[in-house]
Amino acid sequence: MRGVIHVARAWGPAVEGVALVMREGFSPRYDLDRLTGVISRMGHSCEGETVRDRILVIPTTKGGVAGGWAFHDLLHKGIAPAALVFGKLNPVMVQGAVLARLPVTEGWEPDALDVLPSGVRVRVDPAARTITVLD
Amino acid sequence: MDTGMSEVSETRPAAAGTLRLNDEEQAMLRGDHGPAVQDAIRFQIEVGTFFGAERFVPITHAHVMGDIEVMGDGGLAHLRGMGEHGARCVVPTSNNAHCMHFHADPRLQQDADEEGKQREILGRYGRMRIAAVDTCIPYQTVYQPKFGEHVAWGDTGTVIYANSVLGARTNFEAGKASFAAALTGRTPAYGFHLDATRRGSIAVDLRARMEDLADWGALGKIVGHPHQDYFAVPVFEGFDRMPLSDELKQLGASLASYGSMAMFHMVGVTPEARTRDEAFGGRDPVAQINVDDSAIEAVYQSYGYKDGGATIVVFSGPQLSLFEMQDLAERFEGRRVAEGMACVVTTNAMVHSDAERLGYVATLEAAGVTILQGVCFYILQRLTQIREENGWTNLVSNSGKLVNTITAHRFNTVLRRTQDCVDIACTGALR
Repeated sequence: MRGVIHVARAWGPAVEGVALVMREGFSPRYDLDRLTGVISRMGHSCEGETVRDRILVIPTTKGGVAGGWAFHDLLHKGIAPAALVFGKLNPVMVQGAVLARLPVTEGWEPDALDVLPSGVRVRVDPAARTITVLD
Repeated sequence: MDTGMSEVSETRPAAAGTLRLNDEEQAMLRGDHGPAVQDAIRFQIEVGTFFGAERFVPITHAHVMGDIEVMGDGGLAHLRGMGEHGARCVVPTSNNAHCMHFHADPRLQQDADEEGKQREILGRYGRMRIAAVDTCIPYQTVYQPKFGEHVAWGDTGTVIYANSVLGARTNFEAGKASFAAALTGRTPAYGFHLDATRRGSIAVDLRARMEDLADWGALGKIVGHPHQDYFAVPVFEGFDRMPLSDELKQLGASLASYGSMAMFHMVGVTPEARTRDEAFGGRDPVAQINVDDSAIEAVYQSYGYKDGGATIVVFSGPQLSLFEMQDLAERFEGRRVAEGMACVVTTNAMVHSDAERLGYVATLEAAGVTILQGVCFYILQRLTQIREENGWTNLVSNSGKLVNTITAHRFNTVLRRTQDCVDIACTGALR
């Protein structure tokens, strides 16, 4: 499939990567084993998946201030995601992404959950405020 | 060493994103106040620009969150970089609960090298002029901002209490954000610093009796979980008595946890909701939720126990106030935590000091309760391994927040009312 998703707000450099699409909210504290980068919350739609180098597509945020440091920590450990693509976010995710120099976007048209299957390769371009499906 | 910080650069056009800078802010950006402040304001401009902030607002207090468990070695290197660049807070600043309990309980062993790093972090806090009070309840024990006062607080439970109950103004200022605000004495004016964001958006008709702290956490789950949105502001109405600080603390912590929310109103209770109209500020509610006793009861019914492991009962998240300590001491008086069960309480050093003087600590410890200071249970370093070493499958708590936040460590969590938690701890009978 090919297509373009327009985002409302964005920060960071352009990147390409494989999407990991979550069906519910995400918090690096509640849902992620931050020693391995594997989603560990029982019953999470991406339980058992690694976030490393993936473009995380996340409808909403849960909690929590942990993301303010956690993405920088994941980067230091070599298990950081490549970008964060949110439907709705909170400032924690922006603060954490800016510290880790990780592209971050908010708001999507059309709804990324409808048009992006997990595993598809995408390009996130914050300056253009677009997410482009490459596969 | 890669500190993640850039050196002082020459004067250049104020690349201030969407923000207009006054003379002092421009001087900070030029590096006139040193590299730590320059790095801080650059970070703030990048974050503020994402949200379209047009200016900075001065703050009176900052509350920072950062411990070795969440910041890791990379964060520690960043903190060392701040120190080497002469970082010093220009407003009164405190720190949040952290991950190291420094307690001798052999069931709760933590890594010695990580403990050393945490001691280094706390030492660095002192040199940066951060009062290391190690608490997630600064609004009950350390600093209570006044109506309309702008602050920069780095813990969600503190933020929602400040905005909602005190009428102060802050966003979630996570990680570097609250440190940056402490160094520059200001924060970008977006989100809950602005009037428009603070208007109610969800109507909640509250007709439940709300007889236990856990009921308030359950209420936060009912409202927060289906409406995960930082910018959603629930308005509670219909409740027929004045809630206590500890009750609103549990509600706020739960809303912030399940819903990522930063503010609520309660008509006739909170300062920006003297009337329903004032709470909504002319905005039409996007959702209506009715909460009665059966809705609260359904939350408890939604949890179940898993077989084949031990159970720990935890009172934490947020840390307990003095009156919560008094209440627990009364409930545990003359009783004893059952063989094979574990029970842990967390609070801060200020509360612990008075609870000790007043006899609450002795009563709880005589009952076999472990009291940890300066930490919150779900953020403990090495928690997954601690769980495995003790064979803890189930975690029972009266905190709606705790039963949500701890799940990455693969506890099966169960929310129960306070007396049920005490009875479970003292009998081992899971109910």
